[in-house]
Amino acid sequence: MDVDPRQYENITINDNDSHNIVLSYLIHGCFKDTVESLVASTGLKVPAVQLEDMEKRKRILHFALEGNALDAIALTEHVSPDLLENNKDLLFDLLSLHFVELICSRKCTEALEFAQAKLTPFGKVQKYVEKLEDFMALLAYEEPEKSPMFHLLSFEYRQHVADSLNRAILAHANMPSYSALEKLIRQATVVRQCLSEELGKDVQSAFSLKEFLKS
Amino acid sequence: MARPLASQGDDEVISSKGVKKVEFVRIIAEALYSLGYSKTGAYLEEESGIPFHSSVVTVFIQQILDGSWDESLASLHKIGIVDETIIKLACFIILQQKFFELLDGEKVMDALKTLRTEIAPLSINNFRVRELSSLILSPSHRVIDGISGQEMVKPKPRSELLEDLQKLFPPTVMIPEKRLLQLVEQALDLQRDTCLFHNSLVGETSLLTDHRCGRDNIPSETVQILPDHHDEVWYLQYSKNGKYLASSSSDHSAIIWEVNLEGRVSLKHRLIGHQKPVSCVSWSPGDDQILTCGAEEVIRRWDISSGECLQVYEKGLIGSISCSWSPDGKWIFSGLTDKSIMMWDLDGKEMDCLKGQKTLRISDLQTTSDGKLITICKENMIVILDRESGTERCIKEDQMIVSFTLSWDNKFLLVSLVNEELHLWSIQGHIRFVSKYRGHRRSRFIVRACFGGFQQAFIASGSEDSQIYIWHRGSGELIETLGGHSGAVNCVSWNPTNPHMLASASDDRTIRIWGLNHVDTKSNSCIPHCNGAN
Repeated sequence: MDVDPRQYENITINDNDSHNIVLSYLIHGCFKDTVESLVASTGLKVPAVQLEDMEKRKRILHFALEGNALDAIALTEHVSPDLLENNKDLLFDLLSLHFVELICSRKCTEALEFAQAKLTPFGKVQKYVEKLEDFMALLAYEEPEKSPMFHLLSFEYRQHVADSLNRAILAHANMPSYSALEKLIRQATVVRQCLSEELGKDVQSAFSLKEFLKS
Repeated sequence: MARPLASQGDDEVISSKGVKKVEFVRIIAEALYSLGYSKTGAYLEEESGIPFHSSVVTVFIQQILDGSWDESLASLHKIGIVDETIIKLACFIILQQKFFELLDGEKVMDALKTLRTEIAPLSINNFRVRELSSLILSPSHRVIDGISGQEMVKPKPRSELLEDLQKLFPPTVMIPEKRLLQLVEQALDLQRDTCLFHNSLVGETSLLTDHRCGRDNIPSETVQILPDHHDEVWYLQYSKNGKYLASSSSDHSAIIWEVNLEGRVSLKHRLIGHQKPVSCVSWSPGDDQILTCGAEEVIRRWDISSGECLQVYEKGLIGSISCSWSPDGKWIFSGLTDKSIMMWDLDGKEMDCLKGQKTLRISDLQTTSDGKLITICKENMIVILDRESGTERCIKEDQMIVSFTLSWDNKFLLVSLVNEELHLWSIQGHIRFVSKYRGHRRSRFIVRACFGGFQQAFIASGSEDSQIYIWHRGSGELIETLGGHSGAVNCVSWNPTNPHMLASASDDRTIRIWGLNHVDTKSNSCIPHCNGAN
C-alpha cells in the first residue's frame, strides 16, 4: 500500500518507548542475559524482583519444553500458588505432558497408572472428555508416533503448552500476558486490513508484515 | 416325497422352483439344533451325508464358545473365506471380545497388551481403538461419568459373538440362525397380506393350511338404523377415540351420537343453530369439541359433553364451505366462498387469511397432524400447504377432483374423481400414486369415501346407487357391496377403534350402523331391508 511519507515523519517517537517495547518483549520471553545487556546500555531500570521472577519463569518453561511437566508444576506452585488451582485447563495440559513423556519412554504401566490417578478426575467434566480420549488413544499403539494422535508428541505441542503457562504466570503476577511488541504488531495488522477493505482495495493482498518492514 | 429333478451333486434341486437339496437339508439341521434336538440333527447329517458345517467351522465355533481366542484366529484363516476385509473384521471382533473379557476379569495390563499388540496393528476402525483405550481407564466396575465408557463394558456372551460372526461371514460358511423359521414367517406375512378379508388381530395362523379369513370379518350387516335426522344426511364421522359419531344433515342440524361398549349407538346431543344445511363436521384433536359448517354460512364450535354452542365464526357475508382444526386445537381454519382460507383463534379473532386461489367453492379442507393444510386449489389439483415454510406440494389428476379424505395416520390421501374412480396417493415424503378403486356410482353429488378396518386395510365408499362399496386396499379388489339404504349413500365412516363397525349416511334420511354378520338365530330385531337398486 502506498504510504504518505508526510504522515510518518510527523510523529515523534520517544527513545524510552522504543526501549521499553524491546524490554517487555525480552522479559516476556525470559531472555535474561539480553535483558541485562540492554539495561546496562540504556540505563533503564528494572526492579530486581522482576529479574528474579523472570529467572524462575525461565526454569519453569524450560522444564515444560523438555517434557518434564512434574518439575514445571512444582515450581509453578512455588512461584504462583493457586495459579494451577484456578486454571484447570492448564493443569490438565501439563499433566498430560507428563503422560506423553511416559508414553514416549514406553513406560506403559506407569503411564496407565498415572492416567488413572491424575487424569481420570478430569473426566467428570464434559469439556475434558474428548481431550482425555485423545491422550488415552496413544496407549493403544506400540509406536505412538505412527498413531492418529501423533501431534500430541510433538515439540510444537509442548511449545503451545509452555506459551499458555507463560501467559498465565504473567497474568497471575499482574503483568501483561502479551508483550507490547506483540500487541503493536497485532494492532497494526488489523488496522491495515480494515483500512484497505474500507478503501475498497483488493483484499487479496492481505497485510504482510514482512513486506511492510522491507519497504 | 420330493423327486430330485436334477442330480448334480451340490446343485441337486428338489422342487420345481429351484430349491437346492443341500441348502434345504442344512437349514432343517439348523432348525433341529435351534430347537435343541442335537441328536436328531447329528443323525440327519449322518444319514444325508450333508454336513451342517464344515469340520473347520465346527472346530472354530467350539473355540469361540470356549474362549480359545488364539486358536480361533488360526482356524479363522483356514475356513476358506476369500474376502480379506471380512477376515480382518472377524479378527477385530474376536480380539475385542478377548479385550472385554480381560477387562472384566480385571486383567487390565493384559487387556492393554491385547489392544497394543493385536488389535491396533490390524489398522482398521481407529475410532473404535480410541474408544477401547478410554475403556481401559474406566473398567466396568468403576463407571466414570463423562468418559465414553458410560456404555456397558460388560463383555457380551460368547454366543452373541458367534451371531455377530455369522452375520459377517458369507451364508454358505455359517447358516444364519433360525433361517427356516424366518422363511416360514415370511410365508405367513405374505398370506396375511393377500388375505382380502383380514380384519382383526386375532387371526389363527396355522402352518397347516393357508390363511384365509372369511367374509364374515367385514361389517356387512345392518345392526342399527338411526332415523333421527329430518332430511338428507350429508356427512358423518367417528371421533378418533371411536366413542362418538357426529352426523350433519340438510335439516340444518348436526347430531352427536354416543357409542357404548357393546357398540350400540344412541343420540347424545342435537346441535341446533345453523340456518342452512350443515355440510360437514370436524372433530377437535382431543375429541372434546366439534366444528360444524353451515353450507356457505357460518362455522359453529360445540362442546361435546354439554352440547352447547361455544362460538360462532364468520367473515361478514362471505360464507364458509369447509372447516378444520390446527393440530394443537388452538386455531380454526375454514375455506370460504371467495376461495380464500381463513384462520381464527378459538375466541373468533381473525389471525390470518390465505388469499388467492386456495380453495374451490365446493371443497374439502383437512389439516395434518404436523400442521399442513390440504385443500383442492384447482379443478384437478390438490395442494398441501406448509404454512410455516410457505412450501406447497401438489397432487395433479387428469380428471376433476370431487372430494378427498385424509387417512387417520396422515400418510395417505384418497381422492374421489368425477369419472367415478377413487385414487389412493401416498403423501408422506415423495408424493406418489398408489392404486385406484372402481365400482361405485357417483355422477351428481359429492359422495365420500374413507379408510378403515384393521390397520386401515380397507377402503369404503358411499355411492349414488344406495350401496356401500368396500375394497381391499392392498389389492384394489372390490370385496363387498352392502345394500339396505333407499337413497344415495353420501358418506361413510369406519370406527377407528373398532374394525367391525361402519356407519353410513344417506339421502333416505337415515344413518345405518353396520357390524359383523352373525349367524345368530337368537336375534329378534327385525331390520327392514330395502333392495338398493334405483
